Amino acid sequence: MKIKIFIYCVCLFIIMIIQSTILDSLALYNVKPNLVLVFIISVSLVRGGVEGAYVGFFAGLIQDFITGKVIGFYALIGMYVGLLVGIFNKRLYRENFLVIIFFTFTATIVYELCVFFFGIYLQGGDGFLYGFVKIILPETLYNIIVSVFMYVFIMKLSEIFNEQDKKIRKY
Amino acid sequence: MGRFFKNKITFLVFVTLTMFIVMGVSSNNGNLSWMNNSLSIISKPFQKLTLFANKKTNDFFYYFKDVDKLRNENEILKKQVDELQEETRRLNDYKIKNVELSKALKLKNSYDDYEPIGANIIAKDMGNWFSLFRIDIGSKEGVKRDFPVRTSEGLVGRIEAADVTSSKVTTIIDNGSTVSARLSKNGSYVLIKGDSELKNNGLCLMDYIDPDADITIGDIVETSGLGGIYPKGIIIGKVKQIRKSSNDFSKYAVVEPTVDFKRLDQVIVLNKKK
Repeated sequence: MKIKIFIYCVCLFIIMIIQSTILDSLALYNVKPNLVLVFIISVSLVRGGVEGAYVGFFAGLIQDFITGKVIGFYALIGMYVGLLVGIFNKRLYRENFLVIIFFTFTATIVYELCVFFFGIYLQGGDGFLYGFVKIILPETLYNIIVSVFMYVFIMKLSEIFNEQDKKIRKY
Repeated sequence: MGRFFKNKITFLVFVTLTMFIVMGVSSNNGNLSWMNNSLSIISKPFQKLTLFANKKTNDFFYYFKDVDKLRNENEILKKQVDELQEETRRLNDYKIKNVELSKALKLKNSYDDYEPIGANIIAKDMGNWFSLFRIDIGSKEGVKRDFPVRTSEGLVGRIEAADVTSSKVTTIIDNGSTVSARLSKNGSYVLIKGDSELKNNGLCLMDYIDPDADITIGDIVETSGLGGIYPKGIIIGKVKQIRKSSNDFSKYAVVEPTVDFKRLDQVIVLNKKK
C-alpha cells in the first residue's frame, strides 16, 4: 500500500512538471494534450473506479494549486471522471486498445465540456463552437495517441502492484 | 454490503460539499496558503530545471537557423544604432526640459510609487482554456495579490495569488481579466477584456468603445489608471481590427498586445510602495 502511494506520487509529480513546462513548446496549433486526464483515465480503467477516483482527486488538486483559478475545481472533475470511467468499465474486457480509445474519447470531451461550461460559459464567456472545433477535438485526438502509451505503462505498473499484494497476503 | 455502499455515497457527497466550500473560500482569498506553500516549495526547483533544459535545447536548434538571419540583422542594426544615438541626444534635451517643467507644475510621476522586481516564469497553464502562469517570487519578496505584472514591452497581467516562494499570474488575454484602458492619441476610455476565442492567437478584445470616439487601426492603447490595480500609462497594445456589433450601434475591436505571450519567460512585478 505504501509503495503504491509512493509510486503514484512520483508519477503524478513527473506528469505535472512535464505538463506545466515542456509540453507548452510541443503544442501543435496552440493545443496540447492533457497528460493528467489521460493518467486518471488509464488508472481508472486498469485499477478500478475507487482508485481512479482517489488518483483523480489528488491529481486535480495539484493542478488547482499550480495554475488553477479556484482550489477544488479540477479536483472535483478529476474525481468524478475517475469514478465514472471505473464504474462504466466494470463489464468491459480490459485488454483491448479499443476500450481505452473509446474511454479517452468520451471522457476528454465530457471533461473539457465541463471546464468550458463552468470556467468560461458561466463566467459570461462564449465561443462554444470555436472552442469545440479548435480546442476540444484536437485535444481529444492528442489524448488518444498519448493514452495508448500511458495504458501500456499503467498495465506494467498494475502487475507490480498485484505482485506486491500477493507478497503481503503470503505472510 | 448495502451499508458499505451507503457509506461510500455519503463519503462522496461529503468530499463534494467540502470541495464546494473550499472553492468558495479560495475564490475570495486567492489560495489556501499552507497546502499551496508546501507544494510549491517542493516542485519549484524541478520546474525551474525543466524549463531551463527546455530553453537550452530550443536555443541549440535555433542557433543553426539563425546564423544567416543574424548577419543581415547586424547590418541593419548598425545603421539603426547611429540613428538612435542621434535621437537619444535629442531626447535627453527633452528629458531635462521635462523634469524642469514638471517640477514647475508639481506633477507626480506615477511610476515613482512602484518598485520593480524581476521574476522568471516557472510553470505555464496546464489546460488549453485559460492563460495563467506561475512565477518564482512570492510573499517572501513582498508580492501580494493584485500587484501589476509587466515586461519592458507592455502590460502582462496581475498577481492572482501569492504564496511564500511563488505566485500565480493572470494575463490580460485570459477570459477572466478586464483592464480599464484608454487610447493614447485622444484619451477616450475603453475596456480591454480577455476572450477565450482570441486567446489562442495571443489577442484580446476592446469593448465599451464610445460610439463617437475616433478610433483607427494601429492606434496605441495604454492603461488608464482607473480601477486601482494598474498604474497609468503602461502600453497594452495596438488596435488590429475594428468590428461592428450585430445591432450596428456599438463597435468593438481586436487588440494585439505588445507582449508576445507565447515566448514570455521573464516578467517584472511592480511592488506598490506605501
